Amino acid sequence: MKLRIDAELCEGHGRCWDLLPELVDADDHGHGFLIDIHASVPPELEQKAREAVRACPERAVTIE
Amino acid sequence: MYAGGDKSALAYERSACPMDYFAKLRAANTTKTEEFPGLVVLSNRSDVEGALRDWETFTSAFGGINGQDEPLIPLNVDPPEHVKYRRLLDPYFAPKKMASLQPAVDKHTNDLIDQFIDKGACDFSEDVAVPLPCSTFLSLFGLPLSEFDQFIKWKDYLLRAEAFTSSSEEADVLRRQTAVEVCTLMATEAYARRAAPKDDLITYLVESEIDGRKLTDSEIVRTCLLFFTAGLDTVTVSLECIFAYLIAHPEARKMLAEEPGSEINLVEELLRSETPVQMVSREATHDLVLPNGESVKAGDKVMIAIASANLDPNGLEGADTIDVRRGDMRNFAFGGGPHRCLGSNLARMELRTVVRRWHDRIPEYSLAPGEKVIWNSSVLRGVDHLPLVWA
Ligand code: HEM
Ligand code: SF4
Repeated sequence: MKLRIDAELCEGHGRCWDLLPELVDADDHGHGFLIDIHASVPPELEQKAREAVRACPERAVTIE
Repeated sequence: MYAGGDKSALAYERSACPMDYFAKLRAANTTKTEEFPGLVVLSNRSDVEGALRDWETFTSAFGGINGQDEPLIPLNVDPPEHVKYRRLLDPYFAPKKMASLQPAVDKHTNDLIDQFIDKGACDFSEDVAVPLPCSTFLSLFGLPLSEFDQFIKWKDYLLRAEAFTSSSEEADVLRRQTAVEVCTLMATEAYARRAAPKDDLITYLVESEIDGRKLTDSEIVRTCLLFFTAGLDTVTVSLECIFAYLIAHPEARKMLAEEPGSEINLVEELLRSETPVQMVSREATHDLVLPNGESVKAGDKVMIAIASANLDPNGLEGADTIDVRRGDMRNFAFGGGPHRCLGSNLARMELRTVVRRWHDRIPEYSLAPGEKVIWNSSVLRGVDHLPLVWA
């Protein structure tokens, strides 16, 4: 499982880095970015990753 | 037409129970309501989500609000201009920046609680919800606490001029006069910061550039004036919504008292389910037909009922229930699209800090005997008096 954040859609609601600080950080504008874009989501964080997908109001967070 | 009584009765019905009110409105599948005659009210999840993003159809650039002829910044500016202002303002309100303001907010909260904790009673609205965001603002703007009473008066006149006057003309005059006073203070402060910079928001604005030029005084003032309208009562009513929920839910109070950190999801879920800012305004830029077949004409005033979308289970299972332990419910309490609330990181920090501090110090409390929770009828949904008691 891999997490994606679409920077075009992101408006900086901050739900992703709030819910999943292990994988997502906030940039200087409060927009979420992946700490390691190549990393897979470790199994123990898969549930939280799904929560971040559900929580993003702009639907910018996806998993593939 | 969605009907159910007279206009103000409907407003009270909405505030008392948005869950039921908006469920009925969505079931009626119309944008025409008696509460907002002549306005187009978008209430279902997909219409709301679409309209928040589609600034080209639903513009925010329709002049000023609160007695201003000029557009407030960035609320009444659309992309591409809007992007330039947000690029400049976002970093000042970014999470790390707001985290550095947290100790000040924590101190303000403790100072407020100190004043009444031994009495075993307070009016949560008057004693916490109103003053807290005002002190926060003074810290943010780098203004002395002596400005406090002035700030409270100004924001009341700007946002609730009707309550202080006897006609809508008088209210309009009061709003305009107040706006002039706020603008004068901000322009004076801006002038002072140019000569003697400090570490505060006004200095940041004075030193900022857009398109290779400094912001004009008019731009600085119109930005600061918007902060007054956008960042004080919004936090006040959010705190009131949260505590009105808590006095009715002992298990949620218990959770907060026993589990530090649980306030994060609770605040998020209650922002969603209570949606303190119930609607945001737009204007249609061209004629269109909505998915339900109703037509909208260019120039029509549109209300985007984010409160309704937040509770619409169609597209997000479980949205018509409340669970203060979950934090994964997509939520438009801070709007969405380009105009997503600039202050959301500040607001969250304030709400979390107050809820945390309060429950550390006053874990158990209740509504004062014989009192009732009376919701106001405003689009900013709050409770003007919330008398609490504790042992
Ligand atoms: C819990 C408290 C708050 C809530 C619920 C809230 C809600 C909102 C909402 C729904 C919008 C979108 C307006 C629209 O789309 O037309 C908005 C915009 C805005 N808010 Fe907040 N807000 C809160 C606190 C604050 C604070 C503390 C500030 C402090 C500066 C602030 C500043 C702004 C600004 C400047 C905008 C305009 C953004 C733009 O147009 O780009 N808000 N807010
Ligand atoms: S939750 Fe969505 S909109 Fe918010 S910062 Fe994360 S990706 Fe961006």
